[in-house]
Amino acid sequence: MTVPAQKPARKLSMKQRYSALTHDLNWTPTYVPEAEAFPYTTFEGIKIHDWSKWEDPFRLTVDAYCKYQAEKDRRLYAVLDSFAQSQGQLGLSDGSYLNAMKLFLQGIASEEYQAHRNFAYLARYLNGPGPRFAALCQSLDELRHAQTEIHALSHYNKHFTGFHDWKKMHDRVWYLSVPKSFFDDAVTAGPFEFLIAIGFSFEYLLTNLLFVPFMSGAAFNGDLPTMTFGFSAQSDESRHMTLGLEAIKFMLEQDEDNVPIVQEWLDKWFWRGYRLLALVAAMMDYFLPKRVMSWKESFELYFEQQMLGGLFPDLAYYGIRPPRHVEQAIEEKEILSHQAFWILYQFSHAAAFQTTVPDAAAQEWLTSAYPETFPKLYQPLFEKAQEVMDGGGRFFNMGLPQLCQVCQIPMGFTEPGDPTTICQRHSIFKGERYDMCSDGCKWIFDREPEKYVQAWLPVHQIYQGNCGGPTIPDVLAWYGMQPDDGGDYLGSADHQAWTAWHATAAKEG
Amino acid sequence: MQIELRTQVIEPRRRTFTNLAERFGDRPASRYEEGTIDVQATENFHYRPLWGPTRWQYDPEYSALRLTDPYSFTDPRQLYYAPYVQSRSSMQEAFSKSLDYLESRSLLGRMPEAWQQLVANVLLPLRHYEAGAQLITTEGVRFCYGTTIDACCTFAAFDRIGNAQQLSRVGIVLSGGSAELLGAAKQAWLEAPALQGLRRLEEELLTERDWGTELVTLDLADRLVYGLMYQFLDEAALLGGAGAYSLIAQHLNTWFADQRRWIDALIATWLADPEVADANRAALDAVLAARWGQVVEAVSDLAAAVDAHVGVGAVDAARSNAAAVAAGLTALGLTVPEVSA
Amino acid sequence: MTTTADRPVGIDLQESEETRALVDAIEADNEDLTVLHMPGIVRLTKPGRLVINQASVEQRLGRPWETHELQLAIVSYFGHFAEWDDDQILIAWDH
Repeated sequence: MTVPAQKPARKLSMKQRYSALTHDLNWTPTYVPEAEAFPYTTFEGIKIHDWSKWEDPFRLTVDAYCKYQAEKDRRLYAVLDSFAQSQGQLGLSDGSYLNAMKLFLQGIASEEYQAHRNFAYLARYLNGPGPRFAALCQSLDELRHAQTEIHALSHYNKHFTGFHDWKKMHDRVWYLSVPKSFFDDAVTAGPFEFLIAIGFSFEYLLTNLLFVPFMSGAAFNGDLPTMTFGFSAQSDESRHMTLGLEAIKFMLEQDEDNVPIVQEWLDKWFWRGYRLLALVAAMMDYFLPKRVMSWKESFELYFEQQMLGGLFPDLAYYGIRPPRHVEQAIEEKEILSHQAFWILYQFSHAAAFQTTVPDAAAQEWLTSAYPETFPKLYQPLFEKAQEVMDGGGRFFNMGLPQLCQVCQIPMGFTEPGDPTTICQRHSIFKGERYDMCSDGCKWIFDREPEKYVQAWLPVHQIYQGNCGGPTIPDVLAWYGMQPDDGGDYLGSADHQAWTAWHATAAKEG
Repeated sequence: MQIELRTQVIEPRRRTFTNLAERFGDRPASRYEEGTIDVQATENFHYRPLWGPTRWQYDPEYSALRLTDPYSFTDPRQLYYAPYVQSRSSMQEAFSKSLDYLESRSLLGRMPEAWQQLVANVLLPLRHYEAGAQLITTEGVRFCYGTTIDACCTFAAFDRIGNAQQLSRVGIVLSGGSAELLGAAKQAWLEAPALQGLRRLEEELLTERDWGTELVTLDLADRLVYGLMYQFLDEAALLGGAGAYSLIAQHLNTWFADQRRWIDALIATWLADPEVADANRAALDAVLAARWGQVVEAVSDLAAAVDAHVGVGAVDAARSNAAAVAAGLTALGLTVPEVSA
Repeated sequence: MTTTADRPVGIDLQESEETRALVDAIEADNEDLTVLHMPGIVRLTKPGRLVINQASVEQRLGRPWETHELQLAIVSYFGHFAEWDDDQILIAWDH
């Protein structure tokens, strides 16, 4: 062929240039069957007729990606460096604040990393070049999030308990099997289910409920590293939300037969994600010395208004309805955080964070945020816990709780319409009984019992002798916990250090 | 209050995370170490993958190439995400500057006609080779074992799509701003006999399910392709009055030198493993036995096409480069089959 | 039943010196915009559609601004990026 004489430059539009630099790089294999090069996109029953219909509004190419991401990281690491240099931890609202961040590092860093690995699965194994490239960018972003989160919290690790062995804890500790099993569930699913599970349900439907409270909480409580890391990560998140929304619309538009499959995944992953967020609810309402908004307000704003009011009418066009059991989540907004925190409070002796009875101001705030439920149902629990404290003790539940076979949270949630009776559901599979915490988790179990019977349930594993030994100290040692990591915050090593630093400062001041 | 507080000297409780202190002692760890070592989950997985229930989601058995301690390998460049994007931002900016310069002086269009044809018919189709290389490398991102290897694969995969985009941009400039030559280059990739060896190789690698042997096979091809297209032809272009080609080639050369650093280190680590070095050697020998002849022949075809355009002795150069690569592999104790090419 | 034209869409931006011009430009180009300040975040919502014009941002910044730069400031959004071009970004629902 001949090279055309150079004509006056006709600049390609952003869209054409993007297409030439991404989609057009693709070719269909002819030396091997396409199905052998891309073997994982048929077994889930999703039908795709035309991969070129995938639209990516961001149209980022590698040069632009590197340029903007480098700029974001320059800003972020400058903040981390100056925070460490200036002993910024002393300016936190209170030492107890960091318990939220311990839970965040232990619970989330490993999941950002799992998202990184499995978006690479999509970047390799989806047939279409458009979604592959978007997934590749997201895979890189998720590695960024795991690493920047570790780096943002690294300074706290040097001065506080509970941060020091997050990866081992993530693989072993009872409450961290909640996020771990959630992500394990997603990455062991097929590529399309993963797109709905993480790309759509987690990144679009629920991400604001997870991240915005953490970041606003950080901003409000003087945690500059987390705030900066979080906002910086969120700026990538808008691309991820777009990928998720694009993914669901693409699947729904490609074939009508995809609609019921997608609906079931949406039903499953809404409830899976919502149960995971119970930990966030507890964090928002109980861990932050200065509170930004309650779980209930956050749920109303980010889920009920934006998603049920905004997104789902849009998806109704395709025949998608709001997720199954959503009415249960709405009903629980008054009680979720209290029940989740009460579980964490009772088992803090076996955790790598500390809790304490909310003080008078906090209880006043809880009363005003939850006037119908807190004074009647939960304040009495804390009054009793306070009495134990006043007597020189601390109420810990020294038994081993029963865990839900699906979400793996101890069975502490209540019956629909009756916040005083613990909800228990069960199913029989191959002659064995499995217990679930809710109708949502039971529905999920019954849909895929062969999957959920495999769950590595921490309490069962302790009973089976797989966790370092039969006693609590044996298990905690196997978890990688140190004696100062858990318990009540008041009188803890962190509390003592915090008080000492500020006493010195007061003297000097 | 903040200001007074800052005058305090506060002794840290510890200098780094427990896993790193156990490996290296309680000394301050680098950001590379904290963000990369021991990050991937290793135990107590909950469910078998629906797409492949015989293994866990992270499993050393996804490759015949293994390490007793996956973190015995570390990236000699110590790249984590932030320095990676900063480095690539600079490299991309440098490339853009070169390309802007070539465009503003119409230097690509002023190359001798034969060199313009070479770019259109041989160089531009290699953007698809780079795109294929991205897919093959991405297998490692998902299936390798351990975050130090994973991070290298991640950055390399993204680099490959970046290289593909750089070559595509050369095509857009040479077409005077349109995508015309890119369309023709794609046809060449699909049909031109000189390129079919490389295309077949990549497509076959896409059906393998061993990220390690895929990576190594691709690397064999890269050594010969880069040796020919960006090292040998860089020099030949200058002699042939095609300085613009040289300017482009240098950027890809710079990238490949960076790429070599981690791949060479990984191969050395596989071969030095205290327990599985012999098994790794056997796996690498198996790759060479199966693929070396195919790779040499594919690049020999490519070199013949280069000579058909510009007659610079590319076939001989490719042959001696293959011999040099073979000698390097032999020096590692590997067995490189004789080839007749 | 709400319609595509009045269901709210919105965008959350980092509250900083650098995003002030962006917020000003969005305020100027979108009637009925609701602005809510939260710790570290400014939240802009509006029924139906929200538009960001490159020219308006550049005018207030006093320098060139690529629409890609929104990615340095955005924290979250709801709605759909119906358009993301060189000169304009549009957030709206599709249906």
